[in-house]
Amino acid sequence: MNTQRAHSSEFRLLVTPLVLFLLVFLGFPAIVNLIYSISDVSFETLRQPRITGLSNFAAVWNDSAFWQASWFSLRFGVLTALLECGLGLFLAIFLSPLIERRSWLMAILMLPLMVAPALVGLMYRLVLHEFAGPVPYYLWAWFGASFSFLGPTSAFWTLIVVETLQWTPFALLLFYMAYRAIPTEIVEASAMDGARRWHLLWFIELPLMAPTIVVALLIRFIDGFRVFDNVYVLTGSGPGGSTASLSIYIYEAFFKQGAIGKAVAASVILFAVSFAVLYGLNLIASRRKGAVK
Amino acid sequence: MGTISLRQAGKQYGAVEIIKDLDMEIADGEFVVIVGPSGCGKSTLLRMIAGLEQTTSGQILIDGRDMTAASPVERKLAMVFQSYALYPHMTVRQNMGFGLKLARLSAGKIKAKVDAAADRLKLTPLLDRYPKELSGGQRQRVAIGRAIVREPVGFLFDEPLSNLDAALRVDMRLEIAKLHRTLGATMIYVTHDQVEAMTLADRIVVLKDGRVMQHGSPHELYQNPANLFVAQFIGSPKMNVLPCQRNGDGMLDLSGEGIVDLALSSSAAPVHLGARPEHLSLVAPESGHCRGTVEAREYLGGTTSVFVRNPKLGLINVSAPAETQFGIGETIGVRIDNSRLSLFDNTGTAVRTLR
Amino acid sequence: MINALRWLIFAIAALGMNFPILVTLATSFKSARELSTNPGLWVQAPTLDNYFAVFQVSDRLNIFLYLFNSITVAFIGTTLAVVLALPAAYAIARGKLGERTLLPFIVNLRAVPLIIFAIPLYMMFQWLALLDTRLGLGLILSIVNLPLALVILVNAIRDLPAELDEAALMDGASRAQILLSVIAPVCRPAIVTSLIFGFITAWNEFLFGLMLTTSKAVPITVGASFFFAASGGGVQWGVASAVMVVGALPPILLGLIMYRQISGSMTAGAVKG
Repeated sequence: MNTQRAHSSEFRLLVTPLVLFLLVFLGFPAIVNLIYSISDVSFETLRQPRITGLSNFAAVWNDSAFWQASWFSLRFGVLTALLECGLGLFLAIFLSPLIERRSWLMAILMLPLMVAPALVGLMYRLVLHEFAGPVPYYLWAWFGASFSFLGPTSAFWTLIVVETLQWTPFALLLFYMAYRAIPTEIVEASAMDGARRWHLLWFIELPLMAPTIVVALLIRFIDGFRVFDNVYVLTGSGPGGSTASLSIYIYEAFFKQGAIGKAVAASVILFAVSFAVLYGLNLIASRRKGAVK
Repeated sequence: MGTISLRQAGKQYGAVEIIKDLDMEIADGEFVVIVGPSGCGKSTLLRMIAGLEQTTSGQILIDGRDMTAASPVERKLAMVFQSYALYPHMTVRQNMGFGLKLARLSAGKIKAKVDAAADRLKLTPLLDRYPKELSGGQRQRVAIGRAIVREPVGFLFDEPLSNLDAALRVDMRLEIAKLHRTLGATMIYVTHDQVEAMTLADRIVVLKDGRVMQHGSPHELYQNPANLFVAQFIGSPKMNVLPCQRNGDGMLDLSGEGIVDLALSSSAAPVHLGARPEHLSLVAPESGHCRGTVEAREYLGGTTSVFVRNPKLGLINVSAPAETQFGIGETIGVRIDNSRLSLFDNTGTAVRTLR
Repeated sequence: MINALRWLIFAIAALGMNFPILVTLATSFKSARELSTNPGLWVQAPTLDNYFAVFQVSDRLNIFLYLFNSITVAFIGTTLAVVLALPAAYAIARGKLGERTLLPFIVNLRAVPLIIFAIPLYMMFQWLALLDTRLGLGLILSIVNLPLALVILVNAIRDLPAELDEAALMDGASRAQILLSVIAPVCRPAIVTSLIFGFITAWNEFLFGLMLTTSKAVPITVGASFFFAASGGGVQWGVASAVMVVGALPPILLGLIMYRQISGSMTAGAVKG
């Protein structure tokens, strides 16, 4: 009969649908994942998994392809995050005077964000095609030589460029917003203090944008790390598994090799690591906030 | 009817006590202003009465019925918020009728009640406008209108004028006072502005740190503050407080700077003398109760505030005639009207004088 | 002078980042004959033949089905996410319910590789007969859309003054009534933003479409790749380009129309989340 308690029960009713939905569509799969990861299971024995212990984890642990995929994802995530944020930061600050007065310029730069990564991957199959693609065509026409963009040595870097070109606009947009949000009084105050353009950038603008830069790096790393769509349609996992990301590794273990146990064990590892890292970051962030207070 | 009683009402957030065992009786039709410095708990108290804030101990009775745990709407009170809190997506008419609609009144009845309230508040031409198309004063009137249409047993105002500019604030103050006269409803009004409190209230409740320091009519609080806090909070400009002690003759000794001729009862031991600036006057140095040098003057049009510095008594604010001639640095005497002063002991509680 | 340099850099960036889109657009207007001699960016004899070919239904390829599937699953995935997120966002923002548990969990969901849930979901869908259905894919897409929708809505509600809720409480509204007749209308811009954003995300989703559909519920992102599967004499690049243009156009148009709202919410989801 307490008003406050009545309120909180009303609120509880309002979150219930979401919580139930999550329990069914994420909680249940998570439990299935855990059970299957320690079971001997195949498509024939889906309903009667036999608990066998950690052999699936051992199989993943001893699979060189797993480590190769992890290394790919890690490198891919780090490199694309750095390139996208570096390029995005430069463009945001350098082009800011243009965009400020003509916001449609930003719309043009944001266009790649609207296109499905899978479609962009497919588009690059055309762009880089040795007969039909304009890039090899112009390389032949201008330099009399081209090379195999999706060959063993270059496929990784081609993918890096593809990912970077599509997602730099994301970093650019975040940085542009953060840059425009710097109070003009601060810029004017630093000008009164005799700051030059470089001083202003280095001592005022970049430090004020630092939180956004960290967030953008993090988001872009995460998206790069879990990459699937564009890599899958562009190279599959080849050549020779050299471009399999962790997501592709799990997908192929399940759908192509039928190795359910291995795929699920790899999922559980990825799940545990992702949440550990994410909660760790949340914790650091909230400590920081606490320290500032 | 609209009596509101608080019995030992209290509010705790964790270990922090916002309101402490508060007793209050509000009669039907009374206009009570709760006033106090920011953080004193006055808004919390109002929201406890409204039912927006949980009362953690004690009771709240409305018309004699225990409403401590009742929902806001069951209490049949209406509230006017500081930010007006008009629904931005509804017209003035919809804003005023929303509560009636929730109470499932027929459309015809809602229209009649809204029209009547709009007429009373001169809102009729604005009924189809949206809040963003209204001025601050108009929004304020809509917020009041929204409260009126529900014919509540009492009105609660949470600093309703603080978002208005000074001129409008005076107009709205008069309008609220008129509304109270015509409706005759119980009103509880929270403000930090003691001028609003003085001008509107039948009774003022001064709150500090969740406790009632004093309650009474504006006149009572002004003339006979129960303690140092109320003395300094009520009245503008602020009351001067001078250190003093009782001397052997039962007179008041102003820290050796002068003697105030006053018969004190045998048990009284005042240590603070409170004197309002308007009860002090400037005289020749030798004929005052104490003397000092003029440190600053503020010309206010009707009067001039003269700030006199005495090394032992501190800075004394004297309300002098506007055209007073004393210049900065001049030594002058200050005369205390000994029939109008207040005395306080070392706990800050008022000491009764024998007049 | 410096401005000329800015324009130059802008042109290079715009061209470079949109290069695959421009190439695809140009190629989609080229005849098969022109393609074999002119892979460049210029179209000599524009033709719509590729588009006619794309909209030709065969037993193997049916673009109308793919588009219809994409629209349906995006619609389910978007509205369901908002319908679930709005009341939860209200409870989180105003009731402080799950502010330290549910909210960070769902926000983190945005960063988790979704493949980790894909396998059990695949098996679950098999049991529930949801494989290769629009409803099944739509349900999953709502999970994909939930984090951003929740963050956008929580932020929008937090920005509203609490006195608005309290005024409605004084007017006798229940929490559900406040949500429906005060909060939802006032938050309409944020709701529209999360709907549009969700629609684009759902339309562009590929992984779950690839795994959970095979023929009846195939979305356009997956269906487009079918056009690449060689039908005898290698990929018909003109037709493949046309299908990609068709598949990319709806989110691009939506994005261009609403890009102000979208850019705002992107920063909201990223920075405040």
